[in-house]
Amino acid sequence: MAQIDLKDVVKRFGPHLAVKGVNLQVRDGEFLIMVGPSGCGKTTTLNMISGLERPTSGEIAIGGRVVNELEPGERGLGMVFQDLALFPHLTVYENIAFGLRVKKVPQAELDQRVRAAAEAMHIASLLAKRPAQCSGGESQRVALARTIVTNPSVFLMDEPLSSLDAKLRVDMRTELKRLHERLKSTFVYVTHDQAEAMTMADRIVVMSKGVIEQVGGPLDIYRKPASQFVAGFFGTPTMNFLAGEIDARDGTLAFASRSLREPLGDALPPSLAGRSIVLGVRSEHVEVGRGETPGRVQLIEPLGNESLVFFEFGGDAPLVAKVDAETRLRPGDNLTFGFNPAGYHVFDAASGARLN
Amino acid sequence: MSAVAGMGRAEAERAGARNVRRRRWRVVLRHAALLAWVAVIMFPIYWMIATSFKEKHEWVAWPPHWLPHDPTIKNYSQIFVFDVQRSGVAREATEQPFNVWGPLADSLLICTLSALVALLLGTFLAYSISRFNVGGRHFRHAILMIRMVPPIVIAIPLLMYYAIMIPLATEAVLGTRILLFDTRVGVSAIYIATTLPFVIWMMLTFIEEVPYTLEHAARMMGAGRMYTLRRVVLPLVASGMVVTFLFVFILNWAEFLLALTLTHPDVVTLPVLLNKFQSASEGRLFGPQAAIGTLITIPVVILGVLIQKHLIKGFSFGTIRK
Repeated sequence: MAQIDLKDVVKRFGPHLAVKGVNLQVRDGEFLIMVGPSGCGKTTTLNMISGLERPTSGEIAIGGRVVNELEPGERGLGMVFQDLALFPHLTVYENIAFGLRVKKVPQAELDQRVRAAAEAMHIASLLAKRPAQCSGGESQRVALARTIVTNPSVFLMDEPLSSLDAKLRVDMRTELKRLHERLKSTFVYVTHDQAEAMTMADRIVVMSKGVIEQVGGPLDIYRKPASQFVAGFFGTPTMNFLAGEIDARDGTLAFASRSLREPLGDALPPSLAGRSIVLGVRSEHVEVGRGETPGRVQLIEPLGNESLVFFEFGGDAPLVAKVDAETRLRPGDNLTFGFNPAGYHVFDAASGARLN
Repeated sequence: MSAVAGMGRAEAERAGARNVRRRRWRVVLRHAALLAWVAVIMFPIYWMIATSFKEKHEWVAWPPHWLPHDPTIKNYSQIFVFDVQRSGVAREATEQPFNVWGPLADSLLICTLSALVALLLGTFLAYSISRFNVGGRHFRHAILMIRMVPPIVIAIPLLMYYAIMIPLATEAVLGTRILLFDTRVGVSAIYIATTLPFVIWMMLTFIEEVPYTLEHAARMMGAGRMYTLRRVVLPLVASGMVVTFLFVFILNWAEFLLALTLTHPDVVTLPVLLNKFQSASEGRLFGPQAAIGTLITIPVVILGVLIQKHLIKGFSFGTIRK
């Protein structure tokens, strides 16, 4: 059992409040990813779980046992660091064996476990090398082998893939997910890369400025972001945001700005009439060639299977739409567009909270 | 059009040639100045080595003998006499044998011991300053202030403590006189105190290059602080420790004033021995004096060459990063 419970956890560095009362339950065996921009408190939260930082107040329990006073080494955790933290003066073998030597595991068992871990991470041929002689991907595997060899019930990972090049990073994502399937341990993973979070996580925790903005499955978060911040953080390209207010002139609610008027359907309570809002629409819900609103193409970004069209329409900022790669558009062309109402996200302009 | 471009190119070439000429001159001038400076610095050392191989009539010959006319190792054999008593009193003062073995042993012992202890203390202090911010943010600078006090200022007060205050105090409190004056421990103690700031500074630069995450990783795997130090931090700064040790060793090896003040007659370090040759009793024995001087210089030169590259790193005081 390795469920992790955080109760009102606060961390203060001098006058700076890094984590402002986090409540979170990490379920046994789940792959939980904490994501957010740098400085949002996600790494601090991870470090408090690991024991490298002590919470200023609040309670952290692992497997039902409060661990606030326990040393990191006594919590039964394994951690992979952003810079991997391999010991440069030790061979790969000794790096993997380090935790077992600390625990005074007998030599025969130690050797067998080190070799098994190396085998599992496909680095058996590297055992005699030094970390400096390993490539980025190999070092990554060494760091993972060093972590799995002690059989921790919880794996903590602090942006372990950030030092890899783009292709390797995508490969390692798959590998990590496979590792999680195999070990069935609890994974807590920190990243600022929303794509990493979307592809690997069972559940995602979105943090911003020391508080949790939303907890949910990757698709929930993508389809129903709880705030404008979450909506803007997830998805490429960034969601289109249109500032305006709710207009109820002809009996139904509609979004109205200087240049647009879009009916919002009946998803919102009528009491919101007159409220300043931000309307969010993802690029796939902007339909070029469907509606009647005119626009003018600024820029095309071909992605291969589809293209992104950036166009202005008289609003404050240009909109972006996803179109079929075959669509023939060039900068300067005129177009008409409309929105798919199913993709509307309505946020309060002041608080950023979701309204629909 | 092309003619204009051609002229422009010719002009550019001329300007380029001018620049090259100017740069070459600057290099020549700089090297000339450096060579002149090296001559000034190196001349006494050259003269010392030359004199150590000269017969006594050549020591102060005029016009000077730039190189020994008939080179001899007599000066060296004269200072390496084991038993001065048995070899008897020389007929001439210039042939008086000397025993350099005792002072050599004293110097080696004191310098090695004090450098080792300073290294041990300084490494752990530097670690605690680096990792726990011991003493606050400005402590590392405050430590350097010890080096701002000229030794001559503390020499006499120290003598008072070593010769009078500490023996009296220990007799009153412990019932036994502890004398630091004219003891190897006494000299070592003051050497440790005066070189500790250097050790801390140099080790700080080495220790701060060891990433925190390495220690975090070790802690996550259950290693305690001492285990982490022994297995992770110290192996990574080992080469820095060697450099620091050698540097401090050289400092102590050449230290004269404190050793002179705090010893006599039992403990004699090499610089103090060297000084004796300028005294009334031993006269002006330039040959043996030069031989001892050469002897003292050899380890300094060897160690200096060995560690010069690392010294620059240690002295940059963390301002230069890899």
